[in-house]
Amino acid sequence: MSTFSFAEATEWRCAACDQPLQPAKVKVTYLNAVFNVELMVCPACNFILVPENLAMGKMLEVEQLLEDK
Amino acid sequence: MDQSQLRALEARCIQEEMPFCTASCPIHVDARGLMALLTRGELREARKILDRTMPFPEILGRICDQPCHPFCKRGEIGDPLWIGPLERYCVSVTDTVLKPPKLPVKGGAVAVLGAGFSGMTAALDLSRKGRPATLITARTRLGGSLPDRAGSLLPPEVFDQAEATLKRYGAEIVTGASLDRQTVAALLDKYDVLYFDWDDFTIDHLPFIPGTPDPISLALERDGCFGGGGVEDGKPFSIMHQAENGRRAALSMERYLQGVSLTAEREKEGACPTRMYTVTEGIPPASEIVPDNPIAGYTAEEAQREAARCIYCECLECVKKCAYLQEYKEYPKTLVRKIYNNLSIVQGNRSANKLTNSCSLCWQCTVICPYDFPVASACHAARQEMVASGHMPPSAHSFALEEMHYTLGENCALIRHQPGTTASRYLFFPGCQLTGTYPDTVERTYIFLTQHLEEGVGLFLSCCGAPADWAGQSALFTDVLADLTAQIRQMGNPTLIVACSSCLAAFGKYAPELTVVSLWEMLDELPLPEVLFDLPESPLTVHDPCTARYQEGVRASVRSICGKIGLPVAETTIGAELADCCGYGGLLQFANQPLGEKVATLKVSRSTTETGLVYCAMCRENLVGTETHIAHLLDYLFADPEKNPLVRAKVGLSGRHEHRSRLKSRLQSTLWQDPIGSPAPHRAIRLEADDETWALLNERLILMEDIQKVIHHAETTGRYLHNPANGRRLAAFKPAVVTYWAEYEPISDGYFLHRGYSHRMQLPEDRA
Repeated sequence: MSTFSFAEATEWRCAACDQPLQPAKVKVTYLNAVFNVELMVCPACNFILVPENLAMGKMLEVEQLLEDK
Repeated sequence: MDQSQLRALEARCIQEEMPFCTASCPIHVDARGLMALLTRGELREARKILDRTMPFPEILGRICDQPCHPFCKRGEIGDPLWIGPLERYCVSVTDTVLKPPKLPVKGGAVAVLGAGFSGMTAALDLSRKGRPATLITARTRLGGSLPDRAGSLLPPEVFDQAEATLKRYGAEIVTGASLDRQTVAALLDKYDVLYFDWDDFTIDHLPFIPGTPDPISLALERDGCFGGGGVEDGKPFSIMHQAENGRRAALSMERYLQGVSLTAEREKEGACPTRMYTVTEGIPPASEIVPDNPIAGYTAEEAQREAARCIYCECLECVKKCAYLQEYKEYPKTLVRKIYNNLSIVQGNRSANKLTNSCSLCWQCTVICPYDFPVASACHAARQEMVASGHMPPSAHSFALEEMHYTLGENCALIRHQPGTTASRYLFFPGCQLTGTYPDTVERTYIFLTQHLEEGVGLFLSCCGAPADWAGQSALFTDVLADLTAQIRQMGNPTLIVACSSCLAAFGKYAPELTVVSLWEMLDELPLPEVLFDLPESPLTVHDPCTARYQEGVRASVRSICGKIGLPVAETTIGAELADCCGYGGLLQFANQPLGEKVATLKVSRSTTETGLVYCAMCRENLVGTETHIAHLLDYLFADPEKNPLVRAKVGLSGRHEHRSRLKSRLQSTLWQDPIGSPAPHRAIRLEADDETWALLNERLILMEDIQKVIHHAETTGRYLHNPANGRRLAAFKPAVVTYWAEYEPISDGYFLHRGYSHRMQLPEDRA
C-alpha cells in the first residue's frame, strides 16, 4: 500500500516531551478502510498532528467518499 | 421499495405526460418540440420531428387539419397556436431529413385495397415493419380522393415522392386494377391479411358483409380483414383521420400476423386524454400571427413569431416552489428513480445519498401536486432503508442525533408536577428547540400557564424524537416515543400543551393515544398577558412553519392572538398549507448545509413586508440567519421587555446546547428547590473567541462544550502541542466518534480559542 505524505515543517512542538515533531508513517482508518499516510508526529510520545487544512480538506473529502461506498 | 412500488409511484408524476397538442393529435406529433425548434430557426431538426412521426410528411405536413387546435393551452391566454400552417411551412422549406429504418422482412402476405391516404399509410407502416404490402388501387395514381380535395396545396410531385418512399420500403404498387367482387374474393384467398381503405375502395365490392369495424382494431366481421379511412359520419374529410386509421390498421394487421391480442393496451393510440397539468397564470397573453399572404402561408419570420407563442406545456408546479427539486434539477418522477437506483447499488458509489437526505420532508410538493405525489414519504422510506442496510452516511445526521440524546439525557430532561402539587391536569411540553432558543421565554410561558390553568400544570423538558424519525432511525424513534409516553402515563396522562408544530405533528401521527393541544390554541382561549412593548406600526409578515401545514387551527389561533394583542400582521405570498420549510425540517440543514441556507432565503423571500413573525423556534433561528428582522410571537407575549423582539440575534448550536441544560438546573433550583449537583469539570472552563470563530464552529457543527472537553483533557493530561513563536496550544480529544481539535491560548481567567476543527477519521492512538 502506497503512503501519501502530508508531512510539512511546523512550528508546533510536543509540550509534554518538549520535542519538535518529525515525519512518521501513520495508519489512519475510517469505515473499514485503512490508509498509510505520513504526518508530523512527536518522536517520543507519538502525539500525531492533524493540521486544520488536512482535516477540513482531503480528510473530509475521503470521509465523505467512504460514507457513500 | 421494489420495482412495482417504484412504478406505481412514478406513474403519479405527470411531468412526462403528453402535452395537450400531442395528446389530441391522432398520431401524436411532438408539436411542443416542433415549436421550440421552429422558434430557434432550426428547420432541419424541426423536419426530423415530422419525419419521425408523420407518414408522408410532404403530404400530411402540407394539409394537416390540426385537430390539436382547440386543445392548445395558449387558447386560455390569447389564441391557440396554428400548428397545421407551421407544419406546412416546415415541409415547404425542407426536404426529408430522416428516413426511419426498415426492419428485416418477416413472413405474411399483406394487401391494402384502396390507395387513399389511410391505405398508403397502412402499406408504409407495414412495409417498414418488415411486412411488405401490396397496395392495389383502381385509379391510375396514389392518393384516393386527395388530389381532388387538396388542390393547389399539394404539388403533383409529392405523390411521386410518396410512391418512391413506398417502393423503397419494399411495397408493391398496383394501379388501374379491377377491384370487383370476383377479384376481391380471389385476393381474400391469396393474402393472409387485408386492409380496405374506404376512401378508395367501394364497400359494395366486398364479397362479405363487413359489419361495423371494431373501434380499437378496425377489424371487420371477416377474420383477417380490416377497414378504415374515408369520411366519418357527419364529419368533414380529415387527413389526420386517414393517417390515424391507416396507422391503427397497420398495427392491428401486424398483431394479427403475430397471433396476439388485437385490442390489448391500445388506450394511448389515436387522440387520447392526458393528465398533463399546466398553469397559465402569469403568462402574458399573445395573439395569433396571421400570414400576410394566406395562400402562400407563413414566411420564415411569421413562422418564427407564431411558433414562439408556444408556452411549452408542462407541469413542474412542485419544482417551481421547491428549492430542493430546483437544486437537484429533478421532478418527482426522476427523483424517485434516482433514489431507487441509489438503494439498489451493491458495489460502487451511492451518489444519491445526499440527494435522499436533502429533502426537508415538508410535504409542500404533495399539496401542490394535482396527483398528491408523496416525495417526503419516498425520501423518508429510503432513509429508513439506508439505516436498516447500514448504508446511511454516519455524518449525515450524527450531530442532530447526538443533540437529541443530550436533550433526552439527565443534563436537560425534566418532568415534574407543578411546584407544590402532586398531580397534573396539564403538562407543558415546550420542545427541544424552543427551550434551546428561548429558555427565559419558556420559563415565563410556563409560569403564565400555571397561573391561568387549574388542577396543576406540570413541565416536561424533552424532545419528541422527530430528529430520529427524520433521520430514518425507526427503531430509535420508537424507543424515544415509547419512553416519552410511559413518562406521561406516570404523570397521570395529563393533557400535553405542545409549543412546537413538529412535536404536535409527531404526537398526532405516532402517539394518537396522547391528549395533545397546541400552546397557541390554548393561549388563544386564555386572557393574554399585557404587551409590554411598543408594538410595531408596520405589519409583520407571518411565516407559518412547514410542520403547521395540516394544522389549520394552530395557524388560525396565531393570527387570532396577534389580533388580540394588536400586533399588525400580513400574509406571505406562499403560506398556510403551502408554507416552505426553513431548512431544519427533515434535518436538511445538517445533511446539506448550503441547501439549508438557500431554503431559508427562499422562505424569507415570500415576505410581503420588511419584517417577519414566526411561531416556530427553528424558523426564527434559520430566518434570522438570512439577516432579516424576524420576531417570535412568544417574544411579544413573554420575553424580556428590555429586548426588541425584532433585533435579537441568532442563538446558534452551542447556545441552544447550553440553554437546555442551564434551564433545567435553573428551574430545578428556582421552582422546585431541588439540590443541584455540580456540573462536569470541563463545563467550568471559561472560553472566549471572536464572532468569526464562533460562526465557524457553528458551521462545522462543533459545540463550545466539545472545545471545553478538548482543553480540559489537554490541560489535565499535559498532552498538547505548543507553538513557542506565539504561545498557542493545539490539542485534540475524541469524546465519542468525532475527534475535535482546538487551537487556543491561556488568558487570565480562561482560554482564548483561535481555531476549532474536527475529523471522523481515526488515528492509531484512538484505538488504544
